[in-house]
Amino acid sequence: MLLWDKLPLMLILAGLIPAFTLPIVARWKRDFSAPYSIAISVALFSIASYLFIHALRNGPWHHYAGGWEPPWGIEIAIEPLSGLMIILITGLIVLISLYSYGSLRKEMNPEASGWFYVEFILCLTAMLGLVVTRDLFNTYVFIEVVGISAVALVVSKGERLALEAGLKYLILATLASGFLMFGIGFTYMITGHLNLAFAGKVMAENAARYPYLVWAAMSFFVVGFGIKSALFPLHLWLPDAHSSAPTPSSAVLSSLVVKVYIVALFKIFFLVFGSAFYQESSIRYLVLILASAAMIGGSLFAFVQLDLKRRLAYSTVAQVGYIYLGIGLGTPLAIVAAFLHLVVHALMKTCLFLCAGAIYYQTGRKRVNQLAGLGSKMPLTAAAMVVASFSMVGIPITGGFVSKFMLARGSIEAGYPLFIVLIVISGLLNAMYYFPILWQMFFVPPGGPVDERERELHASTHIQEQKPGVQWDQIPLSMKIPIAATALGIIALGVTGKFLYEYLYQIVLFYLV
Amino acid sequence: MNFQMLAVNYPYFIAVIVFAVGTLIVLTQPNLIKKVIGLNIMTNAVFLFFIAMGNIIGGEAPIIDPAAQDVVYINPLPSALILTGIVVGFSLTSLALALIVKLYALYGTINAPNFMKMR
Repeated sequence: MLLWDKLPLMLILAGLIPAFTLPIVARWKRDFSAPYSIAISVALFSIASYLFIHALRNGPWHHYAGGWEPPWGIEIAIEPLSGLMIILITGLIVLISLYSYGSLRKEMNPEASGWFYVEFILCLTAMLGLVVTRDLFNTYVFIEVVGISAVALVVSKGERLALEAGLKYLILATLASGFLMFGIGFTYMITGHLNLAFAGKVMAENAARYPYLVWAAMSFFVVGFGIKSALFPLHLWLPDAHSSAPTPSSAVLSSLVVKVYIVALFKIFFLVFGSAFYQESSIRYLVLILASAAMIGGSLFAFVQLDLKRRLAYSTVAQVGYIYLGIGLGTPLAIVAAFLHLVVHALMKTCLFLCAGAIYYQTGRKRVNQLAGLGSKMPLTAAAMVVASFSMVGIPITGGFVSKFMLARGSIEAGYPLFIVLIVISGLLNAMYYFPILWQMFFVPPGGPVDERERELHASTHIQEQKPGVQWDQIPLSMKIPIAATALGIIALGVTGKFLYEYLYQIVLFYLV
Repeated sequence: MNFQMLAVNYPYFIAVIVFAVGTLIVLTQPNLIKKVIGLNIMTNAVFLFFIAMGNIIGGEAPIIDPAAQDVVYINPLPSALILTGIVVGFSLTSLALALIVKLYALYGTINAPNFMKMR
C-alpha cells in the first residue's frame, strides 16, 4: 500500500496535521481537545511500536522523503537508537497527556488549554522528527520547532514568572541555534554533504586536512547542544523554565526535550565526525569536565532549593551531567550506560514531576517543607515518589541503580576510575535532597507549620481538614494511572535491565564501527 | 600564512565578527528589544556565512543554459537553506516580541534588570 511504505514519514505527519486542526476542535468544544490529543498520542505510539518491532525484526528501515536517494534527499531512518527513542517519547507522551486531562483544568486558564495541546502535539512531533532524521539541516529545522513549542509550553500558563522564564529560554535557545547553524555550516564546508552518513564518509577522508575547521565545528556543536540540553554552566534557563511551567509541560521538558538534543549531538558526533576522531579530539575532555561539574554543582544547587519543582529542575541539571559523562567517556559500556540513564531518567523525572503536580492538585502545596504527613493522605503519590527518589539515589532494584552501576563500570573501562568517586558523591548529594522530602512525608506528623500566607493563598482550593488515618489520594483516576505506570516502569527497568542493556549494546556497536 | 587566501575569503571574517557583535548585544544589553535585535544580527551573520559559502568568484546564477558549455555555477543549496533559516528567524523574533509585549503589559518596562526589583 502506498501509505504503508511511507510509515516512517507518517510518524511525523500523523502528529503535524492534527496539531494544526486542534485549535478548530478546541474552539468547537473545549473539553474535547484533551481526549483528541490523547487519541493522537496513542495513534503515534502504535505507529512507533510497529516501526520499532519492524526494525527489530528486519533491520533498520531507511525511508527517503519524496523518493530522492540520500545524497540529495532527506533520509529518515528507524534504526535501533531512534526506534528506542520514538517508543520512549510516544509512550511517555501518552501518559503525560492522560495526566494533563485531569490536572490541567486546575493549573491553567481553561481558555488556553486548547492552545496548550497544540504546542504539546507539535513538540511531540518535532521531537520524533529530530530523533529519526538523518539530515543536518532537517535536524536544525526540527530543533527550532522543538525550541519554539517548548517555549510556548512554558508560557502557556500566562503567569509573570512563566513569561519571564519563557523569554529567557527563547533568547538562550536562539543563541544556541545560531551556534548550531554555524556548526552545520562548517560541516557542510568540509564535506559538501548534509546527509549524516555521506558527510561522515567524506569527513573521514578530509578531517586530517582541515583539523582546525573540524575542531571549530565540534566546539560549535558542543556549545549549541550544551545550551539546549542544559550542560552545567549553560543551564541558566532550565530551573526557571521547568519550575514555572504547568506540570505536564515540566514533565515533557525535563524528561524528553532535554534528551532529544543529546541524542542529536550523539548522532552528529558519531556519524559525521566518527568515533575514532572523537576519541582523539580534546573536546571530549571538555565534555567530561563540564559533566562532572554538572553532577556535583547541579546537586548542590538542588540541595538549597525549597520549591519542590525547582529542586526537581536542578536535579535534571545533575542527571544530564551523568548522560554527558557517559558520552564523554566514549567507550561502548559508558555509552550504553548513558543511554540507559537517559531512559531511566526520563521515567523517573516524569514520575517525580507528576507527583509534584498531584501534591499541588490535592493540597495546593509547593514547598518541600510543607509536605508533612502526606504519606498517609496520598499513599499512591508518596509511594511513587519513594520509588523515583530511590532510583535517583541509585538504590538496587530500581532502574537508577543499574544505569549508575553501568556508568561506574564504563569509567573503569575507559581508564578513569576517579569518576566513580564523583558518581558516588553525586548519589549521596541526591540522597541529601530527596530523603528529607520522604522523611517529611512519612515520619513528620501532619498539621505541621503551614504558614498563614499559604493558607490565605489557597483559601479557594481548601486545604483539607487534618483527619487521622490513611486515606486514598483524592486525585482523578487519569492522574493516578500515569504516576503508577511510571513508578512501575522504573522498577521494571531495574529488574529486567539486562534486556535493555543488551539491546543498547547493539546500538553502540552499530554506531561505533 | 597565506594572506591572499585570507583577503579573498573576507566574507567569512565579516560573518564571524558580526556574529560576535550580535552575541555580545544579546548577552550585555539590559533592554529586551535590543536583545531581540542582537539575536537578529547574530542569525543574519550566520546567513551571510552560508551564502558566502555557496558563492564561487566568477560563478553565475545556477540557471542551466544548455548552449553555454564552460560556465561555472554557484552552489544554490546554501541559499535555499537560508530561505528556511530566514523563516525560522522570523518566527522566533515574532514569538519573542509577543512575549515582550505581554511582559510590558505586566511590568510597564522592558528593562530586564527592573523585573527583579519589581517581583
